[in-house]
Amino acid sequence: MGKEESPQVTRRTTRSSSSAANLDNVAEKTKAKDPPPPTLNDLLFGEEKPITLDDLLSSFPGRRVQILELLRILGPVNCPMLPVFIYGGTSTGKTSIILRIFAHLNRPFVYSSCLTCYSPRILFESVLDQLLLHRKSAANGYSSAKRCERPSDFVNFLREALTSILCNLQGNSGNLRSKKLEGQANGHMIYLIFDNLELVREWIKSNTMLPFLFNLYDILKMPEVGVIFISNTSPDTYYSCMGYVEPTPVYFPDYTEDNLRQIFMRNQSNKKLYSSFLDIVLKPFCRVTRRLDELSTAFSLLYKKYCEPLSDQGIVPNEDMKRRLFSQLQPHIASSLNEIFRVISLPSAEVGATKKPKRKDTTRKSGGCEVPDQLDFHMSTSAKYLLISAFLASRNPATLDASLFDSTGGSDSRKRKRKPSEKSKEHKETAEQESLMKGPGTFPLERLLAIFQCITSVAADEEEQENDGLGIQAGDNSLMSDVLLQLSSLCNASLIVKGGSCPLDGSTRYRSTVCEDMTLQVARSLKFPLSKYLYRG
Amino acid sequence: MEMAVNSVSPSEFDSSTPPESSEKNLQPFFILHKASSRSSHRRRIHLSPSKSVIKTDDLLLRMEAFQSVWSEIHSASKDVLRDINTSAFNDIYHWVRQSFHAITSYGMPGFGQATRSFPLLTHATSKQLFTGLVLTKNMEFVDDLLTFEELGLCLKSHGCHVANLSSTDFSAKNGIGGCLRSLLRQFLMVSLDAADMSILASWYREQGNYNSPLIVIVDDMERCCPSILSVFILTLSEWVVKIPIILIMGVATTLDAPRNILPSNVLQQLCPCKFVLGSPAERMDAVLEAALLRQCSMFCIGHKVAVFLRNYFLNQDGTVTSFIRALKIACAQHFYMEPLSFMAGALFEEDNQGFQGERNVLLEGMLKYASELSSPDSDTRAEQIDTTLTCRLRELKRLQKCWSSIVLCLYEAGKHKIRLLDIFCEALDPEAYNSVASDNHTGLGKGFGISTPSDPSMRQQCFTMRKGGFICQAIQKVRLLPEASLSQLLKSWENLTVDIYEIHDKVKELQSMVKLEEGRISKEDLTDICILCSNDRRHASWRRLNIESSKRINEKAASLIDCMVRDFLRPIECLPFHEIGCFRNVEKLQLALIGDPRRRVQLDLLEFHKILWCSCCSRSCNIPLPSMPDTSIMYTLAQEHGDLINLPEWFQSFKTIISHISTKGKRKTKQSMLPKKTKYINESEDKSEASIQARFCRAVTELQITGLIRMPTKRRPDCVQRVAFGL
Repeated sequence: MGKEESPQVTRRTTRSSSSAANLDNVAEKTKAKDPPPPTLNDLLFGEEKPITLDDLLSSFPGRRVQILELLRILGPVNCPMLPVFIYGGTSTGKTSIILRIFAHLNRPFVYSSCLTCYSPRILFESVLDQLLLHRKSAANGYSSAKRCERPSDFVNFLREALTSILCNLQGNSGNLRSKKLEGQANGHMIYLIFDNLELVREWIKSNTMLPFLFNLYDILKMPEVGVIFISNTSPDTYYSCMGYVEPTPVYFPDYTEDNLRQIFMRNQSNKKLYSSFLDIVLKPFCRVTRRLDELSTAFSLLYKKYCEPLSDQGIVPNEDMKRRLFSQLQPHIASSLNEIFRVISLPSAEVGATKKPKRKDTTRKSGGCEVPDQLDFHMSTSAKYLLISAFLASRNPATLDASLFDSTGGSDSRKRKRKPSEKSKEHKETAEQESLMKGPGTFPLERLLAIFQCITSVAADEEEQENDGLGIQAGDNSLMSDVLLQLSSLCNASLIVKGGSCPLDGSTRYRSTVCEDMTLQVARSLKFPLSKYLYRG
Repeated sequence: MEMAVNSVSPSEFDSSTPPESSEKNLQPFFILHKASSRSSHRRRIHLSPSKSVIKTDDLLLRMEAFQSVWSEIHSASKDVLRDINTSAFNDIYHWVRQSFHAITSYGMPGFGQATRSFPLLTHATSKQLFTGLVLTKNMEFVDDLLTFEELGLCLKSHGCHVANLSSTDFSAKNGIGGCLRSLLRQFLMVSLDAADMSILASWYREQGNYNSPLIVIVDDMERCCPSILSVFILTLSEWVVKIPIILIMGVATTLDAPRNILPSNVLQQLCPCKFVLGSPAERMDAVLEAALLRQCSMFCIGHKVAVFLRNYFLNQDGTVTSFIRALKIACAQHFYMEPLSFMAGALFEEDNQGFQGERNVLLEGMLKYASELSSPDSDTRAEQIDTTLTCRLRELKRLQKCWSSIVLCLYEAGKHKIRLLDIFCEALDPEAYNSVASDNHTGLGKGFGISTPSDPSMRQQCFTMRKGGFICQAIQKVRLLPEASLSQLLKSWENLTVDIYEIHDKVKELQSMVKLEEGRISKEDLTDICILCSNDRRHASWRRLNIESSKRINEKAASLIDCMVRDFLRPIECLPFHEIGCFRNVEKLQLALIGDPRRRVQLDLLEFHKILWCSCCSRSCNIPLPSMPDTSIMYTLAQEHGDLINLPEWFQSFKTIISHISTKGKRKTKQSMLPKKTKYINESEDKSEASIQARFCRAVTELQITGLIRMPTKRRPDCVQRVAFGL
């Protein structure tokens, strides 16, 4: 079937190739200040160069099967089709390929991404605008052609718009046959493409929207309309068997290492050099990720590093040079791998190094002698204590509070808790794992305040002992005064997370989200003996 | 909590506000504690008989003085806060230009392409969104609201299109639509109910704005709803090829914050770059320097106030905004309460226009008036004062200038290690100064001891002797300073001490010595090299000599600053007439700043009669009377309970108290009537029962709103829990 299809397809593209001149013309016009009114041609992909099937296949290495499959489903001109469901991981070429196929077939289509169109209304209106050849502009106050919020309205409007545009197309194709007008669409089918369909599941109206979209083909009952869904999750993740014809699935698997190599080798000026670079990096990176976007960002940085010692970019590397370049790049690979794994958010240290203002290390004076304070930002003392007490409240079991914060401090409670731990080690281990899985515990406000009062009173006592009459004492009473305000700013900085929503409801519980390292830094800046109060399972 | 306080307070304040129009000017500062402003009131009454010619417009004069002094301080601090960010802003602008070039290097799409709904098929890296992460270095966000606004203005002035979004735009309630809407509102100046990015794209193409990037500034990343923010970033990255958008986000905590908040596929889209703003401590020092030290506004704060402010800054609220607000409160309080303070305004304006014209007449009157009010420890022989007061005031001003110059010198010496605020606090301490000085020089504190220099050797101890004191540390630092920075330090000293001739000369002398030394050393170095080959040992000795000589200069500089401290660092509070410009009432400031609302609410509930001033309740101490407000009765009753309050019991005791007076007279008859059970009585009883229940419920709700009790839970439906204990 596929083999039969392909020669036909190529023939069609040769015809569309002659449309280049016209499209160029359009592109030129658009550069002028006043944009031309949208025409039917705007429903085409609008590529400047014609794409042959060979071009199409060669520009997407490793996707031959999928492209041919899609072409088979789309069928020859004016052939009705059942809905298609294209799925596969992120960055596997789903959207690009379907768009390229339409550029190749030169058939009109309507594309809407559910990411940009974040609500049913905007999705509907975007589809209608494109079909009605309506463009939002200052002249019409950036409004849509039709205001449409309900699916039933959408169906009515859509049917109207589709019939009028199909009329146009049929007229055109009639013209095409008689006058050989160029740059026109092939056939009188129109295709609706819905991209990023997985996002619809998170909409508020998802339980009506998804069946509606899947049902759209049946509802419209127009054989001239094709519906194509693109999603990065499999059809099983949508509620199927809801009484509609299940769309034909087309799966885009992850690229293999060879495919990736072919993809990266495209458009490289110095193929030899890049290939030697890929020899080094591709294998380790493929073990971590095969997503093209992740790889290409990582590789573009690494390749710059790789080429750094070279004066001439066009050089053809020999074995010796390859070895030297490899040894130079090797240290960077591990860190880059790690970054991809943990996800980079701050290569800024390198990228912005030249522009970045000089960082002064922050040292704060407290009590007369210097404490190197690794904490990178300012927090008031009472907020710090609050953070520590929240951390303690999240980590320690509530039952131990009494023993940890009694008048003697945490010293003797340690003996008590050691006994049972020796008795049942396995039990302890499972409990430890359990707590690790559960993450930090929640606590009510009262417990937080109680711990806060305990540790601040201890700290105030110690400070009084240390204080050599500097006259500058921390007002120990005043630490308590607007503790709730401090708590709210800690919540705002998302260092403490608040559960529950009603502020008047007394039962809100809090949870500390800071890691132990940061708490340790805070404790160090206060000279607070954190370990003394921390219960280690 | 604040809301709760307000809900209780208006009735209290209304009833207690003294009927003075002047107090209304200060009302914003007394949100919580109006009722307790008795002392100032008393003082005014005490003073009023002595008022002379200018009695009527005395307060007016003071308020005028406040206006002029505060506007000066305010504008100075504003300027300095703006200047502190300029370098960071410039960095950001450079980065913006770079990123814009990077985006446009992929090729700008034409109109048709850019407004299409489907994505352009370009390289995968082109979807990266350039993101500037601006570290504000303060957990509290108040200070930076203005900063980001100014950043927006700065970028706008360079021709970028800027939209400032805040965390309220990223709320889960409004969803992604909310932030897109406000984005469009700021870029397009239109408000649309269905906002999407295609509109922005067509606007950008339509207006012919190809040459400038669109910049989206998000004030406080941590406060944004993470899911909305990530959808927003994904949407922007989808469109970044068509519209050159650059994102700038404020990060209050650490660079880990984006990693904690955003999912990996979103982080993947970001191409971040880090910028650092000045830390709050740096800003604070800059504000302090500009507002209180650099320009002599005649307004100053006493030692206790300074220490309180410092502790408040460190312990409670580390924002410059609140520091400036505290200064403003102090300033307003000072001019409101201190009768002598009107002279500060005059003295301050003297700089600008001198004693001229009617001002002169006015000032004479003022001086006369001032002589009646001046501080008790100054000698008040009237005829002397008339003639000498003017020059003494000038002297006061001069001394204050000296003091601030010396403090700045010390700050320069200990720069980057010792904070100005600490030095400032220590230099203000009158006790350290007086404790030693007054033993020998009894005349110093009294009379006009300005001209008589007290024993320097003794006084020197007060600041320099104190172990671990910041001033001592600063002097110590001078001793250890390397040569290059020493000459730099001397230069800054030279600039600072222009007005103090004695010191200025000495500094110049020292500078020339340093220059001489430098010349000598460089010459020696030349010869050294020749000698070096022949005699290694002699070289070493030369080196030692050099070090010794530079040490000698360091020692000289240290002794100079030591001498400065000894002679000129006289705390304001030790000067006569310091009342004119020095605010010392720390309790007032404390009350205004640290509300302690929960405690206040409890106190007010228990001691309401102090606020209401009614005759009926003031007699009873802690015995609830039916004439008391319901909430007060309830709270007084609640004192008897422990952790949990049984609702029926509470209600019963409430009912007995309420119905005490209304039924007291009838009680006997009522009991006798009870068996009859006429319908009429039953009805009225029902009514009163219902109204008591309603009052009870309202009071419980009020207590809950003020955060004192917690509503019953399912487990114990008949008990409320007390939340706050103790006072």
